[in-house]
Amino acid sequence: MIMRRTPSSSRLPVLLAILVGIVALLGWHEPRFIEINNLINILRQSSMVGLIALGMTLVILTGGIDLSVGSLVAVSALAGAGAARAGVTFPLCWGAALAAGALLGMVNGLGVARLRLPPFIMTLGMMGFARGLAFMVTGGKPLTGFDASFRWLGIGGWMGLPLPIWVFGGFFLVVWVLLELMPWGDQVRSVGSSPRAAWGSGVNVPGVTAQVYVLCGVASALVGLLLAGRIDSAQPTAGVGYEFGAIAGVVFGGTSFSGGRGSLVGTVIGVLIMTVLESGMNMLNVNPFAEQVVKGVVIAAALVLYGRTGQALRG
Amino acid sequence: MSALLEMRNVHKRYPGVHALKGISFSLEEGEFHALVGENGAGKSTLIKTLGGVVPPDEGGEILVRGERVAWSGPGDALRAGVGIIHQELSLAPHLSVAQNIFLGRELRRGVFVDSRRMREMAKDLLAHLRCDIDPDRTAGELSTGEQQLVEIAKALSQKVSILALDEPTSSLSARETENLFRVIDDLKSRGVGIIYISHRLEEIFAHADRVTVLRDGEVTGRGAIGDFDPSSMVACMVGRRVEVLFPRSFRDPGEVLLEVRGISRRGVLRDVSFELREGEIVGVAGLVGSGRTETARCLVGLDPVDGGEVNLVGGALALRGPRETLDRGMVLVPEDRKRQGLFLNRSIRDNATVMELLHGLRRGPFVDREKRDEAARRHVRNFSVKCRDIFDPVFALSGGNQQKVAIAKGLAVAPRVLILDEPTRGVDVGARAEIHEIMNDLVHRGMGILMISSDLPEVLGMSDRVLVFRHGGIAASFDRGDATGEKVMLAAAGGGVHGG
Amino acid sequence: MKKMMAAFAVLWLMAVPALADQPVLGLVVSTLNNPFFVSLKQGAEEAAAKAQVSLVVLDAQDDSAKMTAAIEDLIQKKVAVILVNPTDSDAVTPSIMKANEAGIPIFTIDRGASGGKVVCHIASDNVAGGKMAAEFLAEAIGHKGNVVELMGIPGTSAARDRGKGFNDAIAAFADVKIVAAQAADFNRDKGLKVFENILQAQPEITGVFAHNDEMILGAVAAAEAAGRTGIVFVGFDAVDDAVKAVQEGKLAATVAQQPALMGSTGVEKAVAFLGGASLPEFIPVDLKLVVKE
Repeated sequence: MIMRRTPSSSRLPVLLAILVGIVALLGWHEPRFIEINNLINILRQSSMVGLIALGMTLVILTGGIDLSVGSLVAVSALAGAGAARAGVTFPLCWGAALAAGALLGMVNGLGVARLRLPPFIMTLGMMGFARGLAFMVTGGKPLTGFDASFRWLGIGGWMGLPLPIWVFGGFFLVVWVLLELMPWGDQVRSVGSSPRAAWGSGVNVPGVTAQVYVLCGVASALVGLLLAGRIDSAQPTAGVGYEFGAIAGVVFGGTSFSGGRGSLVGTVIGVLIMTVLESGMNMLNVNPFAEQVVKGVVIAAALVLYGRTGQALRG
Repeated sequence: MSALLEMRNVHKRYPGVHALKGISFSLEEGEFHALVGENGAGKSTLIKTLGGVVPPDEGGEILVRGERVAWSGPGDALRAGVGIIHQELSLAPHLSVAQNIFLGRELRRGVFVDSRRMREMAKDLLAHLRCDIDPDRTAGELSTGEQQLVEIAKALSQKVSILALDEPTSSLSARETENLFRVIDDLKSRGVGIIYISHRLEEIFAHADRVTVLRDGEVTGRGAIGDFDPSSMVACMVGRRVEVLFPRSFRDPGEVLLEVRGISRRGVLRDVSFELREGEIVGVAGLVGSGRTETARCLVGLDPVDGGEVNLVGGALALRGPRETLDRGMVLVPEDRKRQGLFLNRSIRDNATVMELLHGLRRGPFVDREKRDEAARRHVRNFSVKCRDIFDPVFALSGGNQQKVAIAKGLAVAPRVLILDEPTRGVDVGARAEIHEIMNDLVHRGMGILMISSDLPEVLGMSDRVLVFRHGGIAASFDRGDATGEKVMLAAAGGGVHGG
Repeated sequence: MKKMMAAFAVLWLMAVPALADQPVLGLVVSTLNNPFFVSLKQGAEEAAAKAQVSLVVLDAQDDSAKMTAAIEDLIQKKVAVILVNPTDSDAVTPSIMKANEAGIPIFTIDRGASGGKVVCHIASDNVAGGKMAAEFLAEAIGHKGNVVELMGIPGTSAARDRGKGFNDAIAAFADVKIVAAQAADFNRDKGLKVFENILQAQPEITGVFAHNDEMILGAVAAAEAAGRTGIVFVGFDAVDDAVKAVQEGKLAATVAQQPALMGSTGVEKAVAFLGGASLPEFIPVDLKLVVKE
């Protein structure tokens, strides 16, 4: 019998090495890439998909998936923007956006936990429903032109760093504490590892399941607010395709689709690697057609590499 | 005349483990050769090298009818007439029974798959095993016992001359086991050589012609079955003499802990009533599907009941779910530990403390990691779980150690009533004795244990009382002095005996 | 009484051929809920009045089922020509085939059809628009400097045509160099992100052209946030936000489609077709540049 340690712990250093390697390579090729300014840019760009990826990590840890995140970004941005337009005072209109995200997340959660719909189907339905809702209420046209106060989350800064980075960091901290320090985190992993064993062990499986979808919805709503603030426009098409970036980051970060295993730190590094790649290729002016190919190859190569290294570390 | 099978000086090294250290083994035509040893002794690895699942290291030889063979996969072995039934069942859960039996060698009519003929042949094969599983049923919906029979039918359909069975009876009921041995006798009479791995010594003494004992990858004993007695065989297996008797010391039971009154579940259970007292082990016997496991599931709220009531330490249970039962002091360690009892990809620590963490091991709102690790270490120590450390994933443990973790997980919340479903299935002799000792110790401290088991000696040796289930109800109940293997088997199989 | 009857009959006989002489055209518009298509309809109506033909206009309300029903109605009415601005290129195909069977010629406007036999497709000339943007941009930066192109979703026809027009025209200016051409998928958020990265890589940028207004507005936001000034931005489509940005001076220009011109061109060409003229498969409609007044 071969004894093995949980592999996820050994993946983090490998992931980190890949990230540092790519950054170093790009920096060597284009010194501007590693200017502080650009590193801040990259963090800010990571924050959007990153926030969603954090919520997605929780969902995937329970063995689920949330395809509706991009649509929830649009709906919650519109809810916030609509409230701001209707004259709702400034912090409350943010509340409207967060409530919209949490509510639709809750619908996802109840569908999965209570009606026992497969997460893929439930959130695919929500993806279409929420996107359709966004188009219906706006007639397809974006809401634009907001007060600086509403936009603050997207364009403001604190201690030299843009607010989106603080929001990303803050949400990471909250979710990390929930997952790593609270008993709740253990239950999330138990549900993902084996829902039957978790139920039999007294874990409130439906409750925990619903909660992760709510948190994922809240993450989407935060992104909606950041995005609307940054581009001064709440668009019904906002967030299209975000689910792919988020899921790719999560899986790249070592969280297993089969549930129960994975880490938030891995997800953050995974998302950073993806953003660094995109940003680097923009800076090096790589042909847009080739861009996709390069991205695919790098991801595949990295996965193979860290698969190998993981095995080597495990012995 | 050369032997049917001859293995000489077979070695197998895995990274860090020398699993087979120069094993020699032989099998004659029509011989029933038992292979025994504790888990991890190398039995399964030996069978896997024989079946072409893993290649043996250089230097050794495998000869079938005197010819040297080197197989590149299980397919080669099968074509040469070597069939293996592995411990881990390998049916495709979404395919039908017939499709599974003919998987990879579907019968054809022209270019089309001949489903009708496959179905008929499958039915014949199964009938040969005296089992009436509908060949159209999906493999996934069969019970473990039924799946095992389908696996055996699958091997038999290939006209094998050597058949190796790795713990085939661990999930079969008494009747199914009996059928299996009848089939094995039949095969023997046709000259098929049988290699048989089992932890159940009584089966081996009843059926084997010859025995090979393995320990730590080496042969530690070999001979005709008559050369052994149970104690000497176990001594060869564990390297020391172990008491094979059950370590039960009985005392007078105390107050009633669990009172089950007339619980029913349509099509599954009808009117099940019994009591469990402090300091008592109630054994539950019966065939697979007789309502034993189903009763346990209803008691802890995993399945709903249609009627009846359950009182636990005085108060009625609402049967809302396992959390209620757990809070009230009753815990089930389920039969299918890999799917229902444990979180295989999580660590020993995470598994052993998952229930305890619902109430305790906290500092304020946070998990107290130190307390948690300490608790896990304590469980590992108390149950002598053999592992490198508490952060090893449980899938890396042997069956016996997994079972100890599953029991430790439930005991961590200090229940008054413990329900154990097949506590020693797939568990090696040493671990089995340890689990029995733990049970004895628990009832001495006032716990009540409901023990469901297909292992008759275990039921008879460990229980204060025995309940026998048949067709969803209690068919008979025996006190310790009254219960004999015959009576219990008859009651389970419907022999018309009604005990007191 | 008899006289009156006779007079009526004569009048009737006179009137019918007269009505039959004036051809009836049918126009199905994807939606009249959008000012763009309202202009398209108005242009068509004006052209019909000028050509003295009658025009039946039906609104599909952005619903492919309604569009199908509308086209069937026109086939029933046996109109001379059907002009359709489809809600969806695929959904319109079966209806076009029906019109083909009924022998009624069919024209598509703005959005094409993926099947069936269409006499002629009338839409904006994206290549010409790209060229127009290139010439404006080159002029605005004094025929020299570094420019950036933000591309639409790679492979789409709009991205291809607008990019081709722009690149071909820019090539004529020896001192204008395209220092970066990156895809931002017609998306404001992506436009911002991609331009942010390009700003970091390129210390000197004098002009930017994006294949649509969403991307250019994203780029404007990125430049604002980075404090970079002196960049000339040119967009495409003239959406409300972009027109506003042009008036505010943030955006130098945006290329506008001319929906009224599409509508009138459609009617004029249909009338010409009935008169026996042969038409090319595609008739491009000119675009115009929206600049600060």
